[in-house]
Amino acid sequence: MCAEEVGFVEKYDLLGCIQCGRCTGGCPVAMRTPLNVRTFMYFTQNEERLEELSENPDIWDCTTCFTCAARCPKGLEPLEVLIGLRSLQIEEGKIQPTVRDALESIFKDGNPWGSPRAKRMDWAEGLDVKILEPEAEETTDILLFICCTDAYDTRVQKVAQALIKVLNAAGVDYGLIGDDESCCGAEVRRMGEEGLFEMCDEENVELFNSYNVNRIVTVSPHCYNSFKKEYHELKHPIFHYTELVAELLEDGKLELEKEITKVVTYHDPCYLGKQNDIYDEPRYIITRIPGIDFREFDRCRERSLCCEGGGGKMWVESESTEERLAEARVMDAKEMGAEIIAVSCPFCLLTLEDATKVKGIDEEMRVIDILELLAEAL
Amino acid sequence: MKDIFVLAEHRRGELREISMEMLTGAAKLGGTVIAVLLGKDVDEFAEKLAGFADKVLYINDDMFENYNSEAYQKALSALIKEHGPGLVMVGNTAQGVDMAPALAVELEAPMVTDITALEMDGDKPKPTRQYYGGKLDAHMAMKDADLYILTIREATFPAEEPSKSGEVVKVDNPVSEEITYRKFLEYVEPEIGDVDITQSTLLVGVGRGIREDKNLPVAEELAEALGADLAASRAVVDAGWLPSDRQVGISGKTVKPKLYLAIGISGAFQHVTGMKGAEVIVAINKDPDAPIFGIADYGIVDDLFKVVPKLVEKIQELKG
Amino acid sequence: MNMVVCVKRVPDTAESEVHIDGSGKDIDKSRLSFGINECDNYAVEEAIQIKEKLEGNVTVISLGGKDSDEVIRMALAKGGDDAIRLEDDAFAGSDAFAIAKALAATVKDLEYDIVFTGALTDDDGFTAVGVTLAELLGVPHATYVKDVEVLEDGKKAKVGRELEGGLMEYLEIELPCVLGIQTGINEPRYASFKGIKQAAKKEIVLKSAADLGLDASDVGEAGSWAAMEQFTPPVVGEMAEIFEGEPEETAAKLGDVLKEKGLV
Repeated sequence: MCAEEVGFVEKYDLLGCIQCGRCTGGCPVAMRTPLNVRTFMYFTQNEERLEELSENPDIWDCTTCFTCAARCPKGLEPLEVLIGLRSLQIEEGKIQPTVRDALESIFKDGNPWGSPRAKRMDWAEGLDVKILEPEAEETTDILLFICCTDAYDTRVQKVAQALIKVLNAAGVDYGLIGDDESCCGAEVRRMGEEGLFEMCDEENVELFNSYNVNRIVTVSPHCYNSFKKEYHELKHPIFHYTELVAELLEDGKLELEKEITKVVTYHDPCYLGKQNDIYDEPRYIITRIPGIDFREFDRCRERSLCCEGGGGKMWVESESTEERLAEARVMDAKEMGAEIIAVSCPFCLLTLEDATKVKGIDEEMRVIDILELLAEAL
Repeated sequence: MKDIFVLAEHRRGELREISMEMLTGAAKLGGTVIAVLLGKDVDEFAEKLAGFADKVLYINDDMFENYNSEAYQKALSALIKEHGPGLVMVGNTAQGVDMAPALAVELEAPMVTDITALEMDGDKPKPTRQYYGGKLDAHMAMKDADLYILTIREATFPAEEPSKSGEVVKVDNPVSEEITYRKFLEYVEPEIGDVDITQSTLLVGVGRGIREDKNLPVAEELAEALGADLAASRAVVDAGWLPSDRQVGISGKTVKPKLYLAIGISGAFQHVTGMKGAEVIVAINKDPDAPIFGIADYGIVDDLFKVVPKLVEKIQELKG
Repeated sequence: MNMVVCVKRVPDTAESEVHIDGSGKDIDKSRLSFGINECDNYAVEEAIQIKEKLEGNVTVISLGGKDSDEVIRMALAKGGDDAIRLEDDAFAGSDAFAIAKALAATVKDLEYDIVFTGALTDDDGFTAVGVTLAELLGVPHATYVKDVEVLEDGKKAKVGRELEGGLMEYLEIELPCVLGIQTGINEPRYASFKGIKQAAKKEIVLKSAADLGLDASDVGEAGSWAAMEQFTPPVVGEMAEIFEGEPEETAAKLGDVLKEKGLV
């Protein structure tokens, strides 16, 4: 634990930046906040300015959508510089009380929502689910990782419940962790709390590796991304539920009996789409439902407009009062004639649904997870 | 049974209700009840207390013009040593808890705080108090001693009508030295914002269950639909989601609206004390064991985020 | 300014169900999370803020088992300098008096200007340790403190106590003193995981009852003013009339009742 402190310049390869501006040029939040990640790439080269830069509230506007990194011709990751600056604030303890509370809650109760661990399985009351035993002799095909937001948020609990309905209908052999399930730490890292993220990584890897399963399937793309790309020494392969469900449909394990004659569009989550190239499976699922009139956003796939749910935004208010990206997004959906925006991420679900309420179109526009749509068609 | 001392409490020209409550409770225990009053120009209070006590001992002195726990402790200590009561009752109030434990140490008198129920075993109290924010009652066994001290929670003993005519005795201040190490400076009133909730007829009380200030609109909608004002528990005010003048409870306001609709409030004593006088109390809380259901008239055990929006709809429907 | 902060590790019962265990003298803690007592968290922040303003030393003390180290380390990570933990089987069953005696025995040998405690705890809520401690140490005190300002010479402090109704009582108190801190006095900072791990390198001095010169009659139940005999669920008055059903139904029933009563 005694690694030499690596400076910003070296850690983020700042001297490789040619200041071309493609990062800021593609940054979705630059549309509504003063955040200019390109200037941060430049000024952080001066170690003496780091403290001052870390106190700039703009760094908390970043949603970590990854557009800047995807566009950078030098393969740099500007968002990581912002996360690095957040770390400096974290180590000083100078963060917004809402961020503090979320992090303390993860440390104490394994979820960022301030809810007791003992209530983590309340969403599954009355449902037929199996809880896995560590070191079991029998192999269970899938370890299903639920996600704190699905477990505790009353709106998103419906998604977890829909997932169970779908998996049970398809006769999938899966099991859950139960009350011992703890936060994946994806947002912890993005809020700059490296130390706490390492704890999540270590503890979760030890727990997951103790299960006798073939693979791990997550509900949230954020959990998926962290397990797949950031965790160390995980034994099992990681999948997102859209991959699993697409497979079930292909194999004919699900009977879609009911028609849903609605105009549906799909919002690609940053963490599933542009960060992990999973675009086709969700579309496959939606278009397999009889009756669906599927339409694409103009900004779809890699160009999908970030909903502003990630990067700690669930706990950090922006100073900007300009229209939120989610609000623009739902109005785009309305303009194209969509009645349903299908999502596959709990944060997208919450931010887009909130946006429909703010815009007053929540009566005519539903925001639901693909699983909820699918469950209705069963 | 030995005599019982009851320390009367007053502030800024008002005799506080807890004084009469404790006297009423003490009167039922069997011993001679002696009210002890320290102040400056408190003759009127002494007369009033005489309606509730067998005897009133009071001191008029500049030293007691404003509350000072050190002065109170010294005076009480002297009076107790002189008169030899077996039990001393003090209010479990900001004044009381600031003094009683120190007195207990000085006089080697076992003390239990925040009593919510009391039985006597001869001269020995068998008090009940609460743990875990009111979720459990705890029955305490006190050590044997010649003198006991108890701090009594407000509203534990209901105050009744005065029925005694106690002897009023003015005594000299036994404390001769001025207290220099703790001096009263001034009182500062809390700021009143745009709404004085003590005057509101309808209140929606918001507690921790609201989770974050982002969710306040849920409560605001309900308040608007009802035509009510918003009130808050301490947790909500500490977090800065609502201003302190909306706080209901021991360290906030006491309100007596026609309706107090508590959402996401557990009902810990400190809050309840401020709103239990409401005519109709309704509670919405996920936790079936929340103490608030014990004082509410009507309740819904469910997630407020699920129920409140439906309630708003229903109210709008009823209002037409 | 030399300061001492007394902290306690308590179960988080605010939103959890509390169940009495088999003995009737304790609760089932197996499914509860633990953390620092809420008032103590504010007390730690207050001490650290004063240290940042006036320079000085903050000693963190906790009476508890090894698990309390977690809470101590968090306080050290926030800026505490050194720590003492009081551990002894004999402390079991201690009430505020016995706890205060152990704290007094520890503190009396330290150089201190202010001793901070939380005004009350989330578990037993005795609201007495701070004031008891002050009397044992022979220093002035104030509790329910919501404002602290150390005055110029460092020999006095202007202290605001929060009374019923939110009224503030300001007093001037000579140092050294004991202050019982109430919630809301400040905004506690965050202690990062790395910071806590760094703090783990600091030694936490352990002291037993014997180390403190306390004998059997000073500690535990024997040293307490009262023993907790038995927990029972609270007796509630008339229980509320609870509406049953789906949110739509219960909301409708409630709405009707409110209308009936002329409240809508």
